[in-house]
Amino acid sequence: MQTTQPICVLVCALGGEGGGVLTEWLIETARIAGYAAQSTSIPGVAQRTGATTYYLEVFPRPLHELQGRRPVFSLSPVPGTLDLLVSSELLETVRQIGNGMTHPDRTQIITSSARTLTTAERMVPGDGRADVQRLLDVVRLFSREHQIFDMSRMARDSGTIVSSVMLGAIAGCGVLPFRREHYEQAVRGGDTSPEPQNRQTRASLAAFAQAFDRVQSPRQQAKWVREVVDKVVDDVARSPDGEAGTALPEAARKRFPAAVQDVLALGYARLVDYQDERYAATYLDRLSHVLEAESKRDPAGEKDWAITRETARWLALWMAFDDIVRVADLKSRAQRAQRVRREVKAGDEDILKVYEHFKPGVPEFAALLPAAFASRLKAWDRRRIAHGKPAWELALKVGSHSVLGMLSLRVLAGLRGQRRRGSRFAEEQAQIERWLAAVVAGTSDGSWDLGHEIACCGRLIKGYGATLERGKRNLIHVIETLATAQGSDADAQPQARAQAIAAVRTAALADDSGKALDAALIRHGAPARPVQAQPIRWMRKPDAAHPTEGGARNTPSTQGKSR
Amino acid sequence: MEVSFRKDIEALRLGAGQVFHGEGILAITKGLLQSGVAYVGGYQGAPVSHLLDVMVQAKPYMDELGVHVEACANEASAAAMLGASIHYPLRGAVTWKSIVGTNVAADALSNLSSPGVKGGVLIVVGEDYGEGASVIQERTHAYALKSGMCLLDPRPDLGQMVRMVEHGFALSEASNMPCMMELRIRACHVRGSFECRDNRAPAVSTRALMEEPAGFDYMRLAHPPVTFRQEKLKGEERIPAARRYVVEHGLNELMPGRHADLGIVVQGGLYNALLRSLQQIGLANAFGESAIPLLVLNVTCPLVPEQLADFCDGKRSVLVVEEGQPEYIEQEIATQLRRRGITTPLHGKDMLPLAGELGVEVMAGGLSTWARQYVPGQTAQQGEWIDVNRQRREEVARMLASQPLPNRPPSFCVGCPERPVFSALKLAQQETGPVHIAADIGCHAFGTFEPFSMGHSILGYGMSLASRAGVSPVMQRRTLSVMGDGGFWHNGLLTGVQSAIFNGDDAVLLIFKNGYTSATGTQDIISTPDEAVKEAAVDKQQSLVDKNQTIETTLKGMGVQWLRTVHSYDVARMRKTLVDALTSDFQGLKVVIAEGECQLERQRRIRPWIAQLLKRGERVMRVKYGVDEDVCNGDHACIRLSGCPTLTLKDNPDPLKVDPVATVIDGCVGCGLCGANAHAATLCPSFYRAEVITHPKWHERLVHGLRSRIVRALQPA
Repeated sequence: MQTTQPICVLVCALGGEGGGVLTEWLIETARIAGYAAQSTSIPGVAQRTGATTYYLEVFPRPLHELQGRRPVFSLSPVPGTLDLLVSSELLETVRQIGNGMTHPDRTQIITSSARTLTTAERMVPGDGRADVQRLLDVVRLFSREHQIFDMSRMARDSGTIVSSVMLGAIAGCGVLPFRREHYEQAVRGGDTSPEPQNRQTRASLAAFAQAFDRVQSPRQQAKWVREVVDKVVDDVARSPDGEAGTALPEAARKRFPAAVQDVLALGYARLVDYQDERYAATYLDRLSHVLEAESKRDPAGEKDWAITRETARWLALWMAFDDIVRVADLKSRAQRAQRVRREVKAGDEDILKVYEHFKPGVPEFAALLPAAFASRLKAWDRRRIAHGKPAWELALKVGSHSVLGMLSLRVLAGLRGQRRRGSRFAEEQAQIERWLAAVVAGTSDGSWDLGHEIACCGRLIKGYGATLERGKRNLIHVIETLATAQGSDADAQPQARAQAIAAVRTAALADDSGKALDAALIRHGAPARPVQAQPIRWMRKPDAAHPTEGGARNTPSTQGKSR
Repeated sequence: MEVSFRKDIEALRLGAGQVFHGEGILAITKGLLQSGVAYVGGYQGAPVSHLLDVMVQAKPYMDELGVHVEACANEASAAAMLGASIHYPLRGAVTWKSIVGTNVAADALSNLSSPGVKGGVLIVVGEDYGEGASVIQERTHAYALKSGMCLLDPRPDLGQMVRMVEHGFALSEASNMPCMMELRIRACHVRGSFECRDNRAPAVSTRALMEEPAGFDYMRLAHPPVTFRQEKLKGEERIPAARRYVVEHGLNELMPGRHADLGIVVQGGLYNALLRSLQQIGLANAFGESAIPLLVLNVTCPLVPEQLADFCDGKRSVLVVEEGQPEYIEQEIATQLRRRGITTPLHGKDMLPLAGELGVEVMAGGLSTWARQYVPGQTAQQGEWIDVNRQRREEVARMLASQPLPNRPPSFCVGCPERPVFSALKLAQQETGPVHIAADIGCHAFGTFEPFSMGHSILGYGMSLASRAGVSPVMQRRTLSVMGDGGFWHNGLLTGVQSAIFNGDDAVLLIFKNGYTSATGTQDIISTPDEAVKEAAVDKQQSLVDKNQTIETTLKGMGVQWLRTVHSYDVARMRKTLVDALTSDFQGLKVVIAEGECQLERQRRIRPWIAQLLKRGERVMRVKYGVDEDVCNGDHACIRLSGCPTLTLKDNPDPLKVDPVATVIDGCVGCGLCGANAHAATLCPSFYRAEVITHPKWHERLVHGLRSRIVRALQPA
């Protein structure tokens, strides 16, 4: 540490995380310890959940050694000259590193592993989250030394906010020339009793102590980093409630290669849970055609049967398409009730009331009716809309904690048998077959990659109502325009088409408006999707011919307005 | 507002010899009291809100001293308040955010500067320029120049800042010029200390009243013909007097340096950045001892030609370190030197960037260019670290190239009543087609960010309705103007509503009635629910803004015929109302009031109340929303319609699915938007509303016991 230059500390936090209090504590600590220090911040409207920073400079030698001379501190951080960067959010840490703030020879980084996802990351229809692994790599690469742990969790456990954890981290790393008791005295703010009166102060001190110890014992760090990485992995590995138990039939286990067994088993179990063994058998049967096609292309299974595997995944999900029956079933299970209790942190003595937000419309009900009735019902709804009325929908708040609510959910869930006879079931099966045919054709007539890409397009199918319809339209459009060679470019290479499909699929998951998708389609020589008819309340300007008639209380004039 | 400044107010009471510890802006406030200020006013806005907020809360102590404090309706009324010092020996101070606030105040400032002042006047402006700024980037300096006001730009050291406050008033009295003091963002929030002096109770005050008004004196009116004489006085008497005072009291600081044949002229506010830059290239030490002589301008207007000439004369070169454009100071120095035939090479904006904040790295860049040219033994090596920084930035950028970091702009708080309105507006436009949206200043401007990205223009605080006047007449569809109650009272009522009614415009105005000027720090306004009402409220959780009808009655009084008030969180009804407004046959002004109290303020009221109830073991109901992970379809349409920080993502627990599912994390205040959106937009049925009742009543427990027994019987595993 230099003794002729100030020690420079940058703190990154989000609005409402107590960064202001933190700087107050730090300055007070410096005062108690007898050192010259200065802090600045740029809160502004960042207080409203935005990202902001706090900057601190401390002169490394105590005031009494300075013979009355006063150091001149900088008000803003100087890139490359930081001794310590402390941050409550991983992406913000990396943002500051990206600004050139830290120096691999000088800067120690203590960052939370916690992510507070930005709106941009959250609003993507697919998965727009930043790659945690890459963020961690940046932290490692651009720091002299780094400590990473979940500050938010630590704060929660101590029943306080992250600022006191950050203070503990700063104290623990020893970059500043203050003793632990100096910091604690600042937090206590006058209260010298061994057990502070104020509950908040006690919580702050507890969090402070935890962070202090964590940072002081570097051994734990490696472990922590690993945990952060592993977390992502094992979260995916966990299987959801319910479906455990239903095992894959012996025959199927023989027929399918080992590489697809895990997904296959999950898919089979899902469909038994969703409908019945018979339906699950159809699943296996459909999949066997894909397997057949792939084994012709890749007999040795050099590509780990990825086509079959991907199809197994998306086929299972599509066949278990969501409808009111499924939703009612999922929402009325005992495990689910317990999960909700956990999520909302209801105490054992507390009463918990749960209201389910449903809004089934004509399509949802028509889905369960035979085709004939269904089409008549839909026609009626279309007529309504044509007359400028909103589509018919039934806004429900069903109390699943109440007898009547639970009863109605169970009754709906009991309509499972009716599902098969319903109009939607037939429609879905037809579209599923269409997609599967494309996968098979792509694999056998095109190339392995083409088949694989078409199989992966199963990802486009998800959800309910508008979302689902959009997904299907996109998938069908891709199949029609790219899966099979078009008249114009009949000799288009399967590889080229495979790449095109990959690009288009990614675009389709980028935004729900489909702008990116259409752009990608056109880029790859395919037509943009046909525009969907949508009812709009058209407003013509009333008597645009002669404006400002009527409404005006006075005829506008400039008289008396000039100055 | 319900934030407490108890500690800050104690700091204001400190007496001679005691040491003040705290933020710059509070030190300035203390400085006002030490100067015997008689009246204080202003309009809040970062970074100077604190000054007024503290003063308002310190009312009892201000009354003790006889200091009048006024929370003005806008900067214009604050500036007009300074008229008190034209005739009377009263020291007055006002504060606001600049440049915007100064723009609003400009008319009164001209009319104040022309006759000049008798009592000292200090205008503390937050120079919202550079990192962290929230307004258009312009310099306040121009106003000082054109109106003939002094401009103080103190070295950001608490002691120096307070000293300049005290001198500011004296300077103003010596020159009859109003004084402005510009404080940059970081200077307002810098934490330091200084030794206090006793506060001075003003001679004339709310406790020591004047018997008689001043006699009639036409020279003190900003009215022809004397305005012509006043214009001459500025140059002939006032500015020279100011210059004399600056020199006599050494307000500008001369700092010697080893290289006596060189020099740097710097704005006081940039002193610390300059010193660090000099350190970085080895021309200064940590204690501010510079190798280059410095002239630190704590007063940047008027400049003192003699002082500048003496400093520059005979030097090999002088560098002017000045922030922003145009480079007024550098230009004036050049003129003065030229007139005196001083040929010292002058540098400044030829080496430093014209626009933007002069941070240490940027400043050091220009500085080392200059140093390499003039300072013996200065090599490129001293500037090396800057190249290293650039390389490092490029390296990180390369690592993140495939997925650049998303921005994190501020956004609506958890449970904010304005978010649902934008959800409704998004849905409404699906029915009406997109409309031209005139945005405004305030929290609702966050609607311009994702996930809403709405708003075609921002023309200033309260200007949205006025700013569509030229658009709506020539557009087939109606336009929508968004305005907060803050902006409405700041000037939207007159510039927008009055004009629209007078001209019979066919316009739609959407007013966010949340009860406070929230973006500036939730200060009270005329339509804020009264304290009495808050006290009386049995259920502290409810929104109380409906209890104050000032906006509604005002609009009716002005002749608004089409007026609808909708509860903010009722998305379906808000959508319908907006569609009605945009399609109705009624021509003329249509006003939709979105009513919902600022959630920040509500939580400040609710939290202690809940804590109390729980402590006393009384019944408390807490609402939280949730998402069923196995029902959520991973499309995130709900997030695109909300953006609430507590509605976020988690890995999909279903091993078959790959896209993350939505989840509601701790911190959800149960505002109800998730449910309202789920219905209004027919989102997927994965949302549930959970009501957790702590300390339930005995009969509740009884019913619940029986009920859950049956429910459990019905549930499968």
